[in-house]
Amino acid sequence: MKASRRQFLQSGSAALIGLSIKGGPAIAGSFVNDSFQLGHQLRERAQFLAPKQVEKRSVVIVGGGIAGLSAAWRLHKKGFTDFILLEMNDQPGGNSRWGENEITAYPWAAHYVPVPSPKAVYVRELFEELGVLKDGRWEERYLCFSPQERLFLYGRWQDGIEPAVGLTVADRDQFRRLEDHIHMFRATGKFTVPMEVGFSDSTADLDSISFAEWLRAQGINSRILNWYLNYCCRDDYGATTANTSAWAGIQYFASREPEEKGPLTWPEGNGWIVRRLMDRIGNFVQSNRMVHKISRTSKGASVFSGDTEYRAEFVIFAAPTFLGPYLIEGMAPLRDFEYSPWLTANVTLEHLPASYGTDPTWDSVFMDSPTLGYVDATHQSLRTHIDRTVWTFYWALAEGSPAQNRQLLLDKDWNYWKQAILHDLERVHTDIRQCVSRIDIMRIGHAMARPRVGAIFSAERRKLTEPHGRIHFANSDLSGFSIFEEAQYRGVTAADIVASKLGGHRISS
Amino acid sequence: MGILLFITVLLIAACGLIYELIAGTLASYLLGDSVLQFSTIIGCYLFAMGIGSALSRYIDRGLAYRFVWIELLLGVIGGCSSALLFLAFAYTQGFQLLMYSLVVVIGILVGLEIPLLMRLVRGRYHFRDVVAHVLTFDYLGALGASLLFPILLVPYLGLVRSAMLFGVINVLVALWSTFLFASQIATVRALRSLCVVVLCGLAVGLAEAKRITAAAEDNIYADEIIFSRDTRYQHIVLTRFKNDIRLFLSSHLQFSSRDEYRYHEALIHPGLSAIPVPRHVLVLGGGDGLAVREILKYPQIESVTLVDLDPEMTKLFSTNPMLTALNQKSFLSPKVHIINADAFPWVDSNTDSFDFIVIDFPDPTNYSLGKLYTTAFYKAVARHLSVQGLMVVQSTSPMFARDSYWCIAETLKQAGLQTYPYHVYVPSFGEWGFVIAGHRDFQLPASLPAGLRFVSVVGLPAMFQFPPDMSPLTMKPNRLNDQVLVRAYDQDWKDISH
Repeated sequence: MKASRRQFLQSGSAALIGLSIKGGPAIAGSFVNDSFQLGHQLRERAQFLAPKQVEKRSVVIVGGGIAGLSAAWRLHKKGFTDFILLEMNDQPGGNSRWGENEITAYPWAAHYVPVPSPKAVYVRELFEELGVLKDGRWEERYLCFSPQERLFLYGRWQDGIEPAVGLTVADRDQFRRLEDHIHMFRATGKFTVPMEVGFSDSTADLDSISFAEWLRAQGINSRILNWYLNYCCRDDYGATTANTSAWAGIQYFASREPEEKGPLTWPEGNGWIVRRLMDRIGNFVQSNRMVHKISRTSKGASVFSGDTEYRAEFVIFAAPTFLGPYLIEGMAPLRDFEYSPWLTANVTLEHLPASYGTDPTWDSVFMDSPTLGYVDATHQSLRTHIDRTVWTFYWALAEGSPAQNRQLLLDKDWNYWKQAILHDLERVHTDIRQCVSRIDIMRIGHAMARPRVGAIFSAERRKLTEPHGRIHFANSDLSGFSIFEEAQYRGVTAADIVASKLGGHRISS
Repeated sequence: MGILLFITVLLIAACGLIYELIAGTLASYLLGDSVLQFSTIIGCYLFAMGIGSALSRYIDRGLAYRFVWIELLLGVIGGCSSALLFLAFAYTQGFQLLMYSLVVVIGILVGLEIPLLMRLVRGRYHFRDVVAHVLTFDYLGALGASLLFPILLVPYLGLVRSAMLFGVINVLVALWSTFLFASQIATVRALRSLCVVVLCGLAVGLAEAKRITAAAEDNIYADEIIFSRDTRYQHIVLTRFKNDIRLFLSSHLQFSSRDEYRYHEALIHPGLSAIPVPRHVLVLGGGDGLAVREILKYPQIESVTLVDLDPEMTKLFSTNPMLTALNQKSFLSPKVHIINADAFPWVDSNTDSFDFIVIDFPDPTNYSLGKLYTTAFYKAVARHLSVQGLMVVQSTSPMFARDSYWCIAETLKQAGLQTYPYHVYVPSFGEWGFVIAGHRDFQLPASLPAGLRFVSVVGLPAMFQFPPDMSPLTMKPNRLNDQVLVRAYDQDWKDISH
């Protein structure tokens, strides 16, 4: 590869005076997409502008993540045009935001959707519309290419993340027993995606203990199996098995039985879906529009953003539900909603490390690392030859209290996190510093709802999912955990309720 | 004089062992199964030494004279043994016969050495001292040789030159012996002259041996390397042995100029001749221009578009005189358009349609190449077929990689195409397979371009027949999300090499 003139001059002059940088070339980067400041303004109930103008809308959607965008998509499909979506950040997508550089597009957080089962009706409807599902077949180009996943353990790589090498007879026996349990739970039909479809009070017991306790009760004490289950919980819930309800732990495994080898993924992760949704309903989306107050009125609700008061008949509150009490006048504080803090980084590599180890793989996980490993953004490229790439590095701060970890995210500077990420990658790729040219880091204080013990059967949570006068909640956290399908389900069902209530006086396009 | 005498013993012992090691190593290199080769060679050699020792009792007179002759013979035969064996392997069927003959002859000569030497010096020492010293230095020589051989000789000199070097040592011993036993030899001068002549001959051999060494030493390329370059995409190596030019891409043989016409005629003509009026042809891969050479045999063709990833490859085959002689300057034809691009994205973004599409990629040895053998890729390619269009896919060997071959055929089928698998025999590859595919029926062509050396109208039907050992297998198709082909290919070749 040709070095740029600047690189050449840098390395040349540094070498000349004997000062070449120890440990590899300089690594650029910064924090990106920070939204702490905006969030803290709300928390501290900062003084906001008095409204100067009034706009009327049938529906105002607050929050432009997957839930809000899906609500907009649904309303639009039903023929509504008199609505607006207000997004706080400069880019819609929420946890499905994406970025792009000269090498590739890459995700900032959510990067795949498991192949949805027939029970995920709305997801399949969307995917049929987007050409992902055609005549009952999943489009090959959107299914994750081979090889999908690998795990580094005992100094080597294995195919797949579920540990398969070096298992003792006891490990294998426990894997089998857990599988039997999962089969049984799956057969009940009570663990589904979306969770509301199969949700049953008969499973309430499982929500009263942690997944770790449940595993202990089943005699599942294999270290390697527990590592794997812990990894799964950190990956989907940002929490350890000790901080995850047994119901949610079982849901992770029992709710899915893919009909095709997946998952579905794109270079920019679920940002691809955001882009397709924006193609359809982008005209209704206003970014950089932080809502600072919502008050109920006799005919609906007023949504205050900047210097505008939006008078709406209905509000779909698709922002994270914990923001509700800060925004909605008269809303009681929430007790049962807890969120996991995350850190993601996009790491630009000028070339793969010599220690890469296998054919380029989509998802690489290191056993016994506190992080979740990295995903290769160019893996879904159709090219056969790829020099430079971007790895999206995932780190759910699962150990310890979320509040403390949020503080840690705020306190430490970019350099600290950069070093932490490189140290983690160095466990496996000893020459990583020679390959990386840039590390951009996104800190997400409230990345995903944490389904801790009692969260699923929380009366507070279940109450918020019910139709709610003029303000309808729609965030994925209403399901107790944050995954694409739940966000989409909540957005679509909130839109359906609002649409049916608007009924007669709907303004058709 | 004593110590010099015993150093002579040490040297001849070393020489003897070196020839034995060279024969064993060469046989292991060339024939494989090193356990068998070393066991049989050591056995033959020791047995032949026994014969030599037994024969020594029949030598009554002129011991010193005969000892010098034995050293000379050993120098010549042993010194040339490695080169002889290499040449025998390349040009004859009699490699093993020659090898064991050489081992036996050398063994007999070596077997004669020590008894003769002991008898030569018996008058000068006590018998028990002779036995003790001679055998001590004999074994010391063997130790030295066995250490030198793997550590210095093979890595730094190679097999051919090592043999020559020890041949020289044998001859030097001969020359030295004419001084040592001068009083016991009548024709000292004549012998010395002969030694010098043989020495010169071996010295020339030692210098010339480098050519054979270069051709022989490389583990992968059996022939002389005439071009080697690491491009951004691959490692290109061209080798030549006499008139045979071979192309290796990242260590995989792509063609041998001796029989590539079989491969390329079979790749192109069954499909292309079946198209009524072919005008526009697309070649994916095929950066050597050999497929294009065959395509240009159809005068009605107006354009050939070739998409190959590596510009260095197409440039090499456009400019190197030896290679343009091979592809008959096909890349210089005004009808040919070369595009250096990654095939899948190119196929996706281009909208032209073609009457014949040739897919000639390296075998699916990894997941990156495997993408070019998927239903998604074939669907994308099939969109470029004109109404009369057909495509042909190089599909690995239905014999050595039977699972892989039928997996590719199934993948084409699952991409919605009708498939017509066929195979040919290419000596440097073995049985090799292709699949013609299209949206329409394919019928064997009734005529072919003039001047083909391999494909003929009468021979065509047999190419589409598969004997039981290559007959169709039920395979899953290769998809981007489930690349069964790469795993099957890996397994197929593992099954053969174990």
